[in-house]
This record gives sequence, structure tokens and C-alpha cells, in this order.
Amino acid sequence: MSAETRAGTGAPYDAELGALFAARGAARVDVPIIQPADPYLDTAGEALRRRIFLTRGEAGETLCLRPDFTIPVCRDHVGQGATLPRRYSYVGLVFRQRPTGPGEFYQAGIEDLGEENAATADARALADALAGLETCGLDADDLDLVLGDQGLFEAFLRALGLPEGWQRRLVRTFGHDDQLEAALAALARGGSGALDTLDPEFAELARLGERGALTFKIRERMEAAGLPPHSGRSPGEVAARLIEKVAIAEARLSEDSLQLLRRFLAIDARLSEAGAVIGDLAGAAGLDLGRALTFFETRNLALRAAGVELATVRYRAAFGRPIDYYTGLVFEARRKGSDEPLAGGGRYDRLLSILGAERPVPAVGFSLWLDRIASRTGDAA
Amino acid sequence: MTLTLAIPSKGRLKDKAVAALAGAGIHVASAEDSRSYRTSVTGAPGLEVLLLSASEIARELRDGAIDFGITGEDLIRETIAEPEQVVETVARLGFGHADVVVAVPEAWVDVETMEDLNDVAGGYRARHGRRLRVATKYWRLTQSFFTRRNGIQSYRIVESLGATEGTPAAGSADVIVDITSTGSTLTANHLKILTDGVILRSEACLVRSLVGQAPGTAEADELAARFRQPPPG
Repeated sequence: MSAETRAGTGAPYDAELGALFAARGAARVDVPIIQPADPYLDTAGEALRRRIFLTRGEAGETLCLRPDFTIPVCRDHVGQGATLPRRYSYVGLVFRQRPTGPGEFYQAGIEDLGEENAATADARALADALAGLETCGLDADDLDLVLGDQGLFEAFLRALGLPEGWQRRLVRTFGHDDQLEAALAALARGGSGALDTLDPEFAELARLGERGALTFKIRERMEAAGLPPHSGRSPGEVAARLIEKVAIAEARLSEDSLQLLRRFLAIDARLSEAGAVIGDLAGAAGLDLGRALTFFETRNLALRAAGVELATVRYRAAFGRPIDYYTGLVFEARRKGSDEPLAGGGRYDRLLSILGAERPVPAVGFSLWLDRIASRTGDAA
Repeated sequence: MTLTLAIPSKGRLKDKAVAALAGAGIHVASAEDSRSYRTSVTGAPGLEVLLLSASEIARELRDGAIDFGITGEDLIRETIAEPEQVVETVARLGFGHADVVVAVPEAWVDVETMEDLNDVAGGYRARHGRRLRVATKYWRLTQSFFTRRNGIQSYRIVESLGATEGTPAAGSADVIVDITSTGSTLTANHLKILTDGVILRSEACLVRSLVGQAPGTAEADELAARFRQPPPG
């Protein structure tokens, strides 16, 4: 690699990707390397704690070396109150503790905020990621490309008419194959014993749906414990969830629903054929996936319009990223036969609200792992 | 060569540790001034016994600054990221029993299991504008049990170095992860242990550092052998 292309941040492909992102209308931003850790722990969860470089400031605030760009870019956007829609691009170092390999590496990517046409924005994110990889010398032929969609999974659960508590439980495990399998097994087994430790008086009130009386008794308990009345779970919230829990405690997932869910989750098809495969499964079972399937097909049209060859992308129904701000599309590109992502992205419509935006902001983005790309292409300096 | 072994510096743990050493023929006498941290040892030539705080013992074993230590398994697992690679548990000593548990307010009548807690945590921000907060001094044990064992992603750990069981009533946390031996402190604070919420059943252990100066020496092996359970029969 020549010295010119490493100018600026020192990242591989900095100049080439910078030109590509500019040509695609994504303004280059820079964010400080040292970031407050709370937004990361709040959004990505405590599991991140052992993977980031944490330190404490003089005043006791928790700081970290940025483990990604998405959160600081979005925080900056919220802080500046910039108008929407808007596309940001970045190239730079991120820092993560890993059992092997260096703790710092380069990423580049685009965050696409506020585009109301989700199909267009999703398609643009995937197309831009592929264009980025191509800029780094990787063709679609070199890659395994996988796409998943949590929205379709949620629609499938709704269409099956599963109790809401079960839907929440299954959605939480989406993207974690073993946890999803364990949840399915538990639901199929049924909840025998789930109420064994419950005070019979509460169980009876819950069975009768006596929300008022339950709320009263729970409030008594909270007051006896001195729990602060206006922070944390309210008596009514506990009562409502108990009623819901008791209602489904004796139920179990029917064999039919279980089989349908398993068949849905097993779908692994070319994106060009996925819509038909999903439609056939739902149609044969009399399930209406509603707008989720329409959106899936609309996005495929948008992808084609953005120049993505659908037959080169695999749709895997069980593919997801178990982070609770991811809401729809997720995708990953790997070198054929490898398990290391070279590019990954997805839709995160909940993130900006969490970071303080006044109203929900539709958002989608991707990042490229430049060091992996450089070492794979044998192009590293 | 000199081997170092650290025991807790005060209280019942110290007394029981001294008794455990005596059971292996190692007699430790504190200096005459009971506030001193110096000891004299008979029954094990070349062994130096140090008095340290229980959590410091775990750190010193991790760093290889001492060869052996008697401390709680909870502190070993909390202090050391990969305990199996850094230390070896020579013997479980049968005292200092305590469980590290997940406890929630008794008034949460709908929450009995970790799966219930997972559900509550998942919807917490949408309802309350923040994550479910877990007060604990065991962030490593908590994170591993919540996330790896039970798939709970959405919660925040609030560091608590004392009176953890009071944090729900104080409004600084929603649930706790803490150590309990009889459960009476939890009950007094209107908290209950989840049915599958026992993270660790801890007790005092004699632990050997695998990263210190003397991990492979004959002296160290010999000392460890004095504590191992005799084979049955």
C-alpha cells in the first residue's frame, strides 16, 4: 500500500473509501477517541464491559476508548440537533479487548439517519457496503453475503397468534441459535411448576383477573418494604404481568406452531427466491404476515435498483444480532468459507431515542473491518 | 526456598483458617500485639504466613505475588477472569459458606425465575426510560450469570460496596446480587432469592497460584499435598 492512501487517519484504504463515501453523499465526521462509557453500556449492554477499555476520569465519570463509531456519531448528531435526513461517514480506529489479536483496529462505514423510506435506506446501506468492499478489491464473487430480518420473525410470531409473553421471550433470543432453541423447547414442554412458589391467594386473584385487588395487595407489600413509590416497577405493572403469566402458565406451545416455527427458522434461500419461500410456508399454514412480507419484497426491489444481485445474497430466517436496538434488517459479508465478518450492518430504529433524540429516528448503517480486509487481500502495508 | 501463604487478617475467617492450617500440622502464632500482621510459623520449614484482607488474597494469587492463599471462592471467581488458568483450588475447607444469589423485591410476585427477570428487564426501558439496575460488588459473576448463562442483555450494574440489600428501598437499584449465608438479611429487607438464582455456592478454599515463583517446585507440591483429602477408604 502506498503512503498516499494511508494519509489522514492512517487507515488502509482511507483515501479510496473517503472518495467513495463523499461521492455517495455521506459527510465525513470525526469523533473523539475517548468517549463516555455509559451510552455504550446502556445500549449494547453490560456484556460489553469486559470487551472495552474502561477508565475513570478525575471526577469519577466512566470513560472508554471508542469500541465503535455508531454510538458517538449518533450522539453527536443528537447533540447538535442537526436536520434530517442525513448521512455520516467515518474512517478510524476502534478499540476492543480481544483474547487474540491487537486491541485496536480500523473501521469505516456510513450511518444513514432519518430516511423515512426504510426500503430505500436499507438497500442503500447494503449496496454501499458492497461498494466499499469492492473499493478495497473484493468482489461479490469472493464473498458470502447473509441477510436477516427481525421484522419478519416478529410478524411470523404474531401471525401464529402466540401469547405476547411468548413472543417477547422468543424475540429476545433471536440471533442466538442455542438460546432460541432452549426457549422453544421450554415453551413446548409447558410451564408445569411455574406457579409452585406463588402465594395461593395471589394465584387465585390472578386467575380471576382481579387486577384492582392484586394491585392493592402488591402496593401493600411494596410499602411494607419501603420501596420508593415513584421509581421502578409499579404495583399495577406487577399485577398485570402476574395475570398474564398465570394465564399462560399451564399452556404449552402446540406441536403445529412448533413445527411451523422450526420450518420458518430453517429457511436459508437465495434472496431472489426468499419471498416466495416465505410466502409459500405462510400461505400453506394460513398465516398472514401482513406488511412485513410486503416490505421484504419492496426492499428487494430497492436492492435490485441499487445494483445488488439478489441471487448472490443468502436470506437466513434465523440470522439476527441480539442487541435490543436492532429492529429489522441485518447483514454480514465474509470472505467465502471464513467466519470473520468483513462488513456488517443493520437497522437500528430504537438507538437514537435511547441516546436522547426527541422523536424516533429511523436509522441504518454498516461498518467495514479494514484490517481484516487488508490482510485478506494481501494488500496490507 | 521460601513459600508464602496468606490467610484472612481478622475475624472468624482468620480463626478458622488458622485451625485449618493446624489440621495440616502447620501452627501459626500471631505476634503478641494482636494488631500486628506478622506471624511465626512452626511445622513447615520455609513457609511464611501472611495476614491480608480476603479480597487482597485473591488479587495477590492472581498476580503471583503469593504462592498459596485461603480465601472465599466468590472472591477468586470475581477477581480473576480465567481462574482455571491462573490458580488451582487445592482444597475446599468447609467453612465460610455463603451463596452468591440474585434477589428481587418480595413484592414482585410475578418474578420467580431468571426467565421472569429477563422478561421484566427486556421491557424495562420502554416503561421506565432506563435499564433495570442490579446493585452488586460482583460485577464479573453477575455479568457472566446474567448474560452467558441466562441470556439477559438489558440491565445495568450499579456498583455497591456495602449494604447492597438496602439499595432497592433506597431507590438506587431494582434488584441485587449479593452474598448470603442464612438469607435472614434478605428477608429483613423484603427481598427473595429467585428459584434458579443461586450463582455460586461459595466456601473458603486453599488456593495455589499457578503464575507465581514457585508453582512447580517440590516444596509447593509437598505443601499442597498436606491439604488434599486422603483418598476414600
